[in-house]
Amino acid sequence: MKTQLTLRVNGAPRDVPLSFVGRRLLDTLRLELGLMGVKEGCGEGDCGACTVLIDGEPMCSCLLLTGVVEKCEITTIEGLPAAFLTRFSAICAEYGAVQCGYCTPGIAVMAAWLHAGGTELGDQPISKLFAGNLCRCTGYQQIIEALTALR
Amino acid sequence: MSEIQPPVQGPVSATRATERARGLARYAADLILPGTVLVGVARSPHAHARVISIDTKPALEIPGVLAVLTPADFDGIELGHPDTDEPVLTRVARYVGEAVVAVAASDQDSLLRGIEALHIDYQVLPHACSVADALTLDQPLHAAYPDNVVRRFNAKRGDWQAAEQRVSTWVSGTFQTQAVPHAYLEPRATLVRVNGELLELVTGSHFPSVLAETYREIVAGWGAQLEVVTPDIGGSFGAKWEHPTHLICLAFAHRLGCDVAMVLPRRDDMIAGRTRLAMRIQMRIGATDDGELVAKETVLWADNGAYSAHGPAVTLAAAIRMDNLYRFSALNAKAQLVYTNNIPSECFRGFGSPQSAFAQEQLIDELAERLGIDPIELRRRNAVRAGDTTLHGWQVGSCGFTECLDAIQQRVQAHQHENPPSINSRYRFGYGVAAGTHGISNRGYDRRFDRALLSLVLAPDGMLCIESGEVEIGCGTVDLFGAIVAERLKLDRERIRVVLGDTATVPYGLGCFASRTAFFGGRAALDASRQFARACSHLAIEIGLPAKASIATVIDTAVAVGRTTELRATGRYEPKHVTLPDESGYGNTSPAYTFGAHACCVRIDIVTGLTNVVHYWAAHDTGRVLNLQRARGQVVGGVHQGLGFALAETTLVDNHGRLQNPGYLDDRVATFADAVPVECIFTSTFEQEGPNGAKSIAEPPIIPVAACVANAIHNATGTRQRRLPMTPERIWRSLHTEG
Repeated sequence: MKTQLTLRVNGAPRDVPLSFVGRRLLDTLRLELGLMGVKEGCGEGDCGACTVLIDGEPMCSCLLLTGVVEKCEITTIEGLPAAFLTRFSAICAEYGAVQCGYCTPGIAVMAAWLHAGGTELGDQPISKLFAGNLCRCTGYQQIIEALTALR
Repeated sequence: MSEIQPPVQGPVSATRATERARGLARYAADLILPGTVLVGVARSPHAHARVISIDTKPALEIPGVLAVLTPADFDGIELGHPDTDEPVLTRVARYVGEAVVAVAASDQDSLLRGIEALHIDYQVLPHACSVADALTLDQPLHAAYPDNVVRRFNAKRGDWQAAEQRVSTWVSGTFQTQAVPHAYLEPRATLVRVNGELLELVTGSHFPSVLAETYREIVAGWGAQLEVVTPDIGGSFGAKWEHPTHLICLAFAHRLGCDVAMVLPRRDDMIAGRTRLAMRIQMRIGATDDGELVAKETVLWADNGAYSAHGPAVTLAAAIRMDNLYRFSALNAKAQLVYTNNIPSECFRGFGSPQSAFAQEQLIDELAERLGIDPIELRRRNAVRAGDTTLHGWQVGSCGFTECLDAIQQRVQAHQHENPPSINSRYRFGYGVAAGTHGISNRGYDRRFDRALLSLVLAPDGMLCIESGEVEIGCGTVDLFGAIVAERLKLDRERIRVVLGDTATVPYGLGCFASRTAFFGGRAALDASRQFARACSHLAIEIGLPAKASIATVIDTAVAVGRTTELRATGRYEPKHVTLPDESGYGNTSPAYTFGAHACCVRIDIVTGLTNVVHYWAAHDTGRVLNLQRARGQVVGGVHQGLGFALAETTLVDNHGRLQNPGYLDDRVATFADAVPVECIFTSTFEQEGPNGAKSIAEPPIIPVAACVANAIHNATGTRQRRLPMTPERIWRSLHTEG
């Protein structure tokens, strides 16, 4: 009988106990796999702090059951390309886009998705694309400036 | 903020902001290890009820449930700072969501089953979820306060009668502001690590040193010791101080002898979190015909919620602080703080001034209109100036208030010129102005002293450690302290490690509140750097280096010859010219004061009542700006929190005292899509007392916002908004009754 669930996380197979099948992906990533860059802000899909990529598409990991994504490629902030993260973090620091930083990993994942995703979203305003990511500190202006520079 | 990673041998990353953007910051919940015992609580479903009986046996029979705590386990302990009135677990529930019984379990499922299995019987008592109801309720919420009035303040200054006789025009109004949750992104999380008899409390708070001092007294009774570890803090804005969850976790950890943790789900964080004090403010302001502001009278009632925390201090601030903006001849303020069965209130960015500014700055606008004087000109004529001592005893050092007014006047005029008024049947445009002032720290906060300490300690590996009890809650303190020391000592930032708020090592600090950290901590950092440089030149001579050898060279040599322990210094800052305020708030409570003036252009949709802020200008006198990006960040962030307070955010409570909108979906904080272009202007003020000429910028930007928008709405539609938030529905209704 199957006792493990095998997920593909950040490019590598990761086994988690079968009991996690019905738990939120957010809990599996944080509690079982120790990927603490994934943050819980609201647990109901409003804030976007727990955003991860599922087969390259951004989703709130608090709204996904672990079993549902068994066959998918899961990417957290820890699995983003190093060159992207270096550039993203440098631009964030330069533009003052980070205050408490709790929302930033979710925004980083969204930004990476846009960065990789090609052209069809390229013309949409950042304020629309990132409307699912809440930030209570910055008032967004400097994040928008940083993301514009990143583009 | 502590460095979460173990002490590193190699270089640490350049700035804290970069680490956070890489997802490397570690907040309290990120530090919970697998196997940690989890804690939860049973909450009162009633706004006011006596707990008649508690049966914990069914919960304890559930496999995985390890222990249960009841109110009896915390007899005699009350929390709150500076006033104590809040039980850890309560025998009388005073708001919906108050913790009654706590459960510890080995896993989440057992924990939830255990909480559900508890039997708690209540005797429901009459409740009051508004100030008006509380004042007429025959059942006191706290036995010591039979009329439910926690505190009364009276502040009378100047010769009221003489002033009254000079007034030719009075304007008056009654204003109602609402409670809003702080809505920081990181929900409250508490982890307690057990190390023998030492309990390590890992939690984000404004004041770890004071937290440790308070809890040490309590855990000493259990035979335990305590230190506080401060991880990264995912926002607070005035919310994260003492909290029952801390002592619940400490008690379980001590009893079970193992690590325990409690992370509040967002819903619980909102129902059992804290809110801004809702206020009802009656105000009148009198002026002469030629526009001299003469007299101001304020009567306010503040909703304390179930417990006090900083409620009294916030109420007094709301009653008097904004008076200091203008040269009034006489002032008369009365304030009452009232217990209700609402969520306990707390200080929130601006500390009462956003509430009173909403009233005052609208009335100033009305006066300007009545007197036929431009609203900016009226403010300029009466503006407080450098060198003034205000009626409340503020000794104003540097003051760039009129410079702020000039700056926004110029911006607004230019905008009006470029955007001539258009005739449109659906949308109306209008401009508004409002101003604000704020202190830097508050000598009245802790009666003992107001000071900051910061140590520079050379580690054996050659890293220079900045250690302080002054913490960061997201304003950039770590990077600021790092930058000051690096610049003064001409050291690479990579050679500096910053440890804030770990009470086992850092010197005592009052903490991060009242926009004090950059100013007080910055001065202490400068002092520490001076002393450290002196220690370096002494050591240089002893070990045969030139006295003028660079700090880096001295440090490298000290590491090589094993004399690192001689290189340490503790800097301090304690302003000399501040005074303890009296009961009525009179005193020079801060070493310096900040000033600001805002303006905005709004577009009102008269079909829906929706207000769109088209453009926003924020001019601030914050002394010399130390870091432009950080200062802008505080201004733009503060303005957006203010716009939420002005237009959207509120706590909706039903007739039974239950919060109807405990989440981001229903308590609508600003999203990316709501972002408004904010133009930040900083005056050229230099503050002699400040670190490198700086003042502070954390709280001031939120203060004028609601009033500024209200004045713009009036300019656009002719309706006066007396109630917050100014939702589309309220605007629409006022358009159809007044407009």
